[in-house]
Amino acid sequence: MATTVSCLELPKGGFSFDNCARNARLEERGLTRPKFRKTGTTIVGLVFEDGVILGADTRATEDTIVADKNCSKIHYIAPNIYCCGAGTAADTEKTTEMISSNLQLHRYRTGRPNRVATANRMLKQYLYRYQGYVSAALVLGGVDCNGPHLYSIHPHGSTDKLPYVTMGSGSLAAMATFEAGYKANMKKADAMQLVRDAVAAGIFNDLGSGSNVDLCIIGKDMKVEYLRPFDVANKKGVRQGNYSYKPGTTAVLSKSIKQIKYDIVSESVQEDMDTS
Amino acid sequence: MAMADIYQNNYMSMAPTERRFEPYAFNGGNILAVAGEDFAIVASDTRLSQGFMIHSRDHPKAVQLSSSTVLAQSGFEGDITTLKKHVKIRIDMYEHNHGKKASTSAIASMISKMLYYKRFFPYYVYNIVAGLDDVGKGCVFSYDPVGSYEREQYRAAGAANELLQPLLDNQIGHKNMEGDFLPLSKEKALQLCIDCFISAAERDITTGDCVFLHVIDKDGIATKEFPLRRD
Amino acid sequence: MFMTRSEYDRGVNTFSPEGRIFQVEYAIEAIKLGSTAMGIQTSEGVVLAVEKRITSPLIEPASIEKIFEIDRHVGCAMSGLIADSKTMIDKARVEAQNHWFTYDERMNVESITKSVSNLALQFGEEDSEPGAMSRPFGVALLFAGYDEKGPQLFHLDPSGTFVNCLAKAIGSASEGAQTSLEEQYHKSMTLKEATKCVLGILKQVMEEKLTATNVEVASVTKEENYHMFSKAEIEEYMKDL
Repeated sequence: MATTVSCLELPKGGFSFDNCARNARLEERGLTRPKFRKTGTTIVGLVFEDGVILGADTRATEDTIVADKNCSKIHYIAPNIYCCGAGTAADTEKTTEMISSNLQLHRYRTGRPNRVATANRMLKQYLYRYQGYVSAALVLGGVDCNGPHLYSIHPHGSTDKLPYVTMGSGSLAAMATFEAGYKANMKKADAMQLVRDAVAAGIFNDLGSGSNVDLCIIGKDMKVEYLRPFDVANKKGVRQGNYSYKPGTTAVLSKSIKQIKYDIVSESVQEDMDTS
Repeated sequence: MAMADIYQNNYMSMAPTERRFEPYAFNGGNILAVAGEDFAIVASDTRLSQGFMIHSRDHPKAVQLSSSTVLAQSGFEGDITTLKKHVKIRIDMYEHNHGKKASTSAIASMISKMLYYKRFFPYYVYNIVAGLDDVGKGCVFSYDPVGSYEREQYRAAGAANELLQPLLDNQIGHKNMEGDFLPLSKEKALQLCIDCFISAAERDITTGDCVFLHVIDKDGIATKEFPLRRD
Repeated sequence: MFMTRSEYDRGVNTFSPEGRIFQVEYAIEAIKLGSTAMGIQTSEGVVLAVEKRITSPLIEPASIEKIFEIDRHVGCAMSGLIADSKTMIDKARVEAQNHWFTYDERMNVESITKSVSNLALQFGEEDSEPGAMSRPFGVALLFAGYDEKGPQLFHLDPSGTFVNCLAKAIGSASEGAQTSLEEQYHKSMTLKEATKCVLGILKQVMEEKLTATNVEVASVTKEENYHMFSKAEIEEYMKDL
């Protein structure tokens, strides 16, 4: 009994490293690892006069193929905090979800809204622990008792606190737009337009980013506007041909009809439906 | 995402990194050709890319070689440029030496030999030759990078060939389908070529911007353009 | 006359003051020592016929060959220094195969003739291609073939000059034979008539009696390609002469 492990044993939490040694041996013999879905991405954030705006594109890729044309990259962290994710899709989703639930517990214990700095510290410590192997590049934004805050968090755990940040493969295109157009204390409409333009720059000039622009605006009053989509930057192409088939297109090679024998267990008669 | 790769492969790894000459790149995009009874159509997108970068949104992948032959190429742009230059020179030389126009089949055969000549350091190029044959029928010749070639009715090659070829098998080849089918008309073929690229642009990140069409028939070669999504 | 020539007739790379290269002219003279060869181009195909000089009964007639297949659609007849022709025939065959290999089509008769002409012109060059010699070739060739332009007959001489002909005679009796050809040739000639014609002219101009062993006949048509006549076929034609 001591050597057998129950197959129903539930995970206790944390990662399972059970197959690491086995996989390393297999890779030595020529096995290639499966490819993960990555969000070649443009994610941005900007602090304006009245809060924080986060922006993201909606393309997810697997190598050169678009895996999802309208995925959601702005994740919920807390009622007053949201976070954009770039990198391996699973890592960004699970990391933000886990921090989100830990912050929920934190709110239960403290009875107060979370601070953005808390979320930032939890994320960076978590990512640092995994030395970059959890490949999540994040833009964290929110408003708390100290006002609006915006952080960029790198996969190894380093963070920056800045008035405007970009991450992902489209970060250069987006940052170019910010550098050209950012001003301190922008009006909300101007800030939204600038964020849209920054994400659009990534969408059009970076092949890893595409489709629509999502926005999330967190006001100083902690009111959240999650606009998805904010802008449909690319219309789906309209095909000209008709691609439906006539009945009988698929060949019937053989036909056989069999009687299914059954016993009548019970019978009931339904009343006529009133169709008048 | 590219940034994560940089961190994982170079910064993190303690293992020695192998450095070597990488002679090839891949510049994306798609090419496609369809042969009808008395015409041929070549379609290619105009995006030139490398990795996540767009180099050009206006770079057709097909080129006219003679009054009845078009060559479409996709793969590594450096090899494409060189091969195309050599092919054109060889055709000029042929015309001077033999005092006649090189036929589509002669050009097709010649390209096959030029590719096989580089058997052990191949041109990283997928070629499709399309045009009219000696009796005026539409023809398409497709190649692998080392010169194996075949005359066919239709062929797609490039980044999203796995997406396009089954569509052509279904719509032109009528594979695994019952019923009588009309011969392929020029209008249907054109519309199908455009639809193929609309679909490829939806799911392949290296395809987009514009689709460029060459229509080859007895009156010569006409060109058309059709816009695609630009993301 | 010979006194003035003597200073300029040694080198192949020196013009005489009158603008002549004597070695080339002498090479053309050498053809006139060769056996007679003829060809006629008709709308059905081309026929080639060559006289074989069997100078001794101890010679095996079959070992004298003066008509060769270049490719399935081209044949070549010759007169002059037959040994010189070997490299030219080789060149023609290689070029024809190379063209078929590269372009998946048969090489035009004119192009084959042109490639051999290029070799014939390379005499005296220092870094010439293999097969070229220090002097002009002493042989003239008649290329007969069938290509997209139809039946074709080309005459190539040692100077490298080649001409498309309807009918041509070369060799020792070429003058008389050419006159006869000019008299007898007409546009509507059938291949049979042309074969009969060349054999008839050969019969007239040959010093020896014409037999099926001392003549070679070949034809090139669209249907049969290159075809070398058997003894029996030649005899069949000779009946009517």
